[in-house]
Amino acid sequence: MLSREEVLRIAKLARLELASEAEVALYQRRLGRVLEHVRELSSLTVSAESSVRHVPADADAFREDVVAPFPNPGALLQNAPHVQDDHFVLPAVLEPEAE
Amino acid sequence: MGIPLEIAGLLEGYRKKAFKPSEAVDAFLKTIEAVNPGLNAFLEVRADVARSQARALDAKQPTDGLPLFGVPVAIKDNFLVEGWKATAGSRILEGYVSPYTATSVQRLVDAGAVVIGKTNCDEFAMGSSNENSAFGPCRNPWDPARVPGGSSGGSAAAVAAGCAAISLGTDTGGSIRQPASLCGLVGVKPSYGRVSRYGVVAFASSLDQVGPFGLTTWDAARVLEVMAGHDPHDATSSRREVPRYTAGLASATLKGVRIGYAPAWLEGVEPEVRARFDEALAVLRSEGAVLCEVALPHTKYALSTYYLLAPSEASSNLARYDGVHYGLRSKDARSGEEIYTRTRGRGFGPEVKLRIMLGTYALSAGYYDAYYLRANQVRGLISGDFFGAFGKCDCIVSPTSPTTAFKLGEKTDDPLTMYLSDIFTLPVNLAGLPGLSVPCGLDSKGLPVGLQLIGRAFDEQGLFGLASAYERARGKFPLAGEKR
Repeated sequence: MLSREEVLRIAKLARLELASEAEVALYQRRLGRVLEHVRELSSLTVSAESSVRHVPADADAFREDVVAPFPNPGALLQNAPHVQDDHFVLPAVLEPEAE
Repeated sequence: MGIPLEIAGLLEGYRKKAFKPSEAVDAFLKTIEAVNPGLNAFLEVRADVARSQARALDAKQPTDGLPLFGVPVAIKDNFLVEGWKATAGSRILEGYVSPYTATSVQRLVDAGAVVIGKTNCDEFAMGSSNENSAFGPCRNPWDPARVPGGSSGGSAAAVAAGCAAISLGTDTGGSIRQPASLCGLVGVKPSYGRVSRYGVVAFASSLDQVGPFGLTTWDAARVLEVMAGHDPHDATSSRREVPRYTAGLASATLKGVRIGYAPAWLEGVEPEVRARFDEALAVLRSEGAVLCEVALPHTKYALSTYYLLAPSEASSNLARYDGVHYGLRSKDARSGEEIYTRTRGRGFGPEVKLRIMLGTYALSAGYYDAYYLRANQVRGLISGDFFGAFGKCDCIVSPTSPTTAFKLGEKTDDPLTMYLSDIFTLPVNLAGLPGLSVPCGLDSKGLPVGLQLIGRAFDEQGLFGLASAYERARGKFPLAGEKR
């Protein structure tokens, strides 16, 4: 079981606002439930070589890095909540210095 | 002549001029109008767009040049189709309009298919019942009190209810095969890399694949042969040649084919599902297949492995929903930081938040080795199990899901109970292999049971052949009750 503080720390890292104590308790319970289950993996013997997978991959997936302009940038910007002159608008990143 | 529901029947009708694409599309739209209010399978239907596409086809001749001529297709709402919405079942993408079309969808349209609607799904494809959709659950056409499975529940329900001839879904841990099983359809998760993911909302990029739903194996094979193949826009799409999967299906045989099954893997399966599975094995054997037992000792760790790796990848992929680039932004946020945390806190549903937090935890300092790294190593062991088994057999079979369709609300309280719906499908994604679900009978409540066939990497052709031969031996499978 994770502590309340651990849940809040993970939420902060994930940039998720948890709106109420009830929500914190819900994730504390559910995260705890899943983490308790996945601990079974710690009983397995594994090595660095274990992660080798047996799926044939294409020999060479590399290509030249060629710039191809997106044909319709306006459609991309249309989906943003706040746009000005082809830019995404955000609040100031640096706060004005306190008096 | 009534309008057939399968591709083959539609193409034949067009060739014989029994009906035109616009008439067929109208008939499917009418079915949507009649059944969708009860099913909630569609999040967006654009009848005008579908009708005008169909009318354009009316003027053309159905030829082999257009292998999906006039075939109505429903698309899961996590694909982009230019000009259509794409919510991926999430509030955070409400109002988003796709600026371009996914390669997989474009290839279907280029082959003559008509996009008829976008279908409901679990939010960001995370779920096994479609109950995690922000736009309400989708219901199962076989019994509306039950779930259609998930996450591609709407795509499965749409075809099962006769609202579309075929549909597309995505499968990260079973999201095509499990709903196909619960709705009595053929559903295919191709090999990792077989189909381009360009224009598909990313969930877990080392696992996600695009695949078809159809009423028959032939239909699914036709869709896959049209949309598979390399795409310069997706570096993970394979350059391997795409076979013509439908060729030779009619004469495919089970004679001498070595089919493996893992007895230990079958523990905990609902007795009626087990009974239908055993009957399917008997059919395979009577058709000349050679059955053999194989050991897949690490598949029992697939759930734990998957629920560390998929959430880890999701926590990274879903970082892009930040209130800056897409529709939703929290109105009362005062700083950049608050825009992120409030938009995400309010825009994502509970299961998505749970998985983002799980992934964040598994990747965080001090836990990475114990969780993410170890899960990646166990993934290799699971992959090795299959590799070993394929030394003894050509195909591995299992039930697709341990249960038939369950009731809405039955598994929503405990995440693990829901996750167990995918115990047979998860390992296939972890190993990157192709998997196909084909209906193999009904339980005593009249609900469909699915048989999963698992093949060697890129042996979709082998799977289609076996499924097709099995279908012929099984006989015609019934349609869900609600039909026009």
